[in-house]
Amino acid sequence: MNKRILSRSPRNLLFFFQALGLLLLLIYKGKAIDKLTLATAGGLVLVIYLSNLLLTKITSGDNYIFLITTMLVSIGIIMIYRINEGLGIKQLLWISMGIVLFFLTYFILKKIRIWENLTYLYLIGAYLLFFVTFVFGDRRHGAINWINIGQFSFQPSEIIKILLIFILSSYYSNKDRWKEIKNSSYYLMGVIYSFIFLLFLQKDLGTALVFYAIFIAIQFIYEDDKKPILINIGLFVIFGLLGYSLFDHVKIRFQAWLNPWKYIERQGYQITQSLFAIAEGGFFGKGLGLGHPDFIPVVYTDFIFSAICEEMGIFTGIGIIMLFMIFVYRGFKIAISQDNKFYRILALGISILFGVQSFIILGGVIRMIPLTGLTLPFISYGGSSILSSFVALGILQICSEEIKSKEDLDEAGD
Amino acid sequence: MYNILAILFKYIFIIIIYLFIFSIIRLIYLDIKGMEGISFDDVAYLKLINRKDSLPFKIDEHYIIDKVLTLGRHGDNHIVVKDPYISKEHFQIVEDEGEYYLEDLESANGTYLNGDKIYDIVKLQDGDIIKAGQIEFLFVNRK
Repeated sequence: MNKRILSRSPRNLLFFFQALGLLLLLIYKGKAIDKLTLATAGGLVLVIYLSNLLLTKITSGDNYIFLITTMLVSIGIIMIYRINEGLGIKQLLWISMGIVLFFLTYFILKKIRIWENLTYLYLIGAYLLFFVTFVFGDRRHGAINWINIGQFSFQPSEIIKILLIFILSSYYSNKDRWKEIKNSSYYLMGVIYSFIFLLFLQKDLGTALVFYAIFIAIQFIYEDDKKPILINIGLFVIFGLLGYSLFDHVKIRFQAWLNPWKYIERQGYQITQSLFAIAEGGFFGKGLGLGHPDFIPVVYTDFIFSAICEEMGIFTGIGIIMLFMIFVYRGFKIAISQDNKFYRILALGISILFGVQSFIILGGVIRMIPLTGLTLPFISYGGSSILSSFVALGILQICSEEIKSKEDLDEAGD
Repeated sequence: MYNILAILFKYIFIIIIYLFIFSIIRLIYLDIKGMEGISFDDVAYLKLINRKDSLPFKIDEHYIIDKVLTLGRHGDNHIVVKDPYISKEHFQIVEDEGEYYLEDLESANGTYLNGDKIYDIVKLQDGDIIKAGQIEFLFVNRK
């Protein structure tokens, strides 16, 4: 037994990590943990272990991305449970649902192969979700991006993010067809800018930035015409300057970034608390349960990284950054080795999504770039964030396999 | 009591996370090495000259010639090319006593060796360029 745990298989290490985390939380919370929670947590550990084992059997593609994400998820849940038990239990359920969704997405995409030609459907879906957000939306932490349905609330922008990648992939993989429409690249640009503008109106700056990054990256790689790319970059600069001078909430972010100490009472409060927490932790951290991460506002979503640094050390923080780097590297490798253009762009888009989103929020909490509210994928608390991330992961998993084109399948059938 | 445990565990956590990262990097390294680890030193093979992503069908960069190698649109060939300019059985390369011979299998659009259409069986030299449809192969034999 001992030898098996110590064997260097990452799957066993992950299992060991989760088991130890669970044990420590059990001691920390003492009798407060009820049996149901314990059973759910134990079940999840087992499900993650079996999923990783199962995945090596059913997929001919990549075996590492799911492993990496389950590690990130485990670090996140340990921290969230330690900060707030109620949220920790909810997060357990979200992760379990996320894993189910991951496999569902995987099998649906494996069986149904019509996704390349549904550009208009994605567009309609995206605009519909924006419309719903504005009509029924709820304002939280300064941004209108939540919809409440009964007890549950979700962020439509998380779904639109995936739709955006599908729109871009279906457009650029059918470039020849779209060439018949004159200036189709500019129409596409108009559509994406309308998304970004709508997000801006919702004051969801972080997501707007992620959208822009995905768009410019894919446009840069697949657009044959240089002009739209240059126009795109120019427009970004112009809109950035305009946004800064016209909107107060953008200006506040910049001021709080440049000199948070001056505004420590109000605008700079979050960021300074985050910096204090990271500095307090040092290299190895205070130890789980011995720090004060609850001093940071919204610590369980945007500032989870600071809390992890405080209690588990900057080494764990660096570990998380390294895990994201390996993940994005795997994503790019999947994109490069994929022959089908649609799935190649999908894989690229999803890798950029995770890379940019984690960069923006990690850079934000350590005051490297201005702070914008985003979740750290797979680690932060949040139903819509976890679920949409797992759906995106499922899509990436499909992209890592060899996609047989329709003609190949037809000929095999003859 | 809990404090001691928490402090002990934080070191264990960090060690496990880093072991995890390094084991994944090691596996990825082995994966990449396995991908490029085929040695081409003492075999004869065809190397694709076209840029792989400029061709609208699936094709590999290298094909090792083992006794016989056939190319065509039909699924039974060693190299299956889904290109309308390629015939069902297009050409074949046969090894005989260490020498390699190229033969056109009465394809519709012909096979070209160094730019000339071939009508008979031709002996291949190292560095010859074989062209069929829009695909170009370099013949390499460094024995």
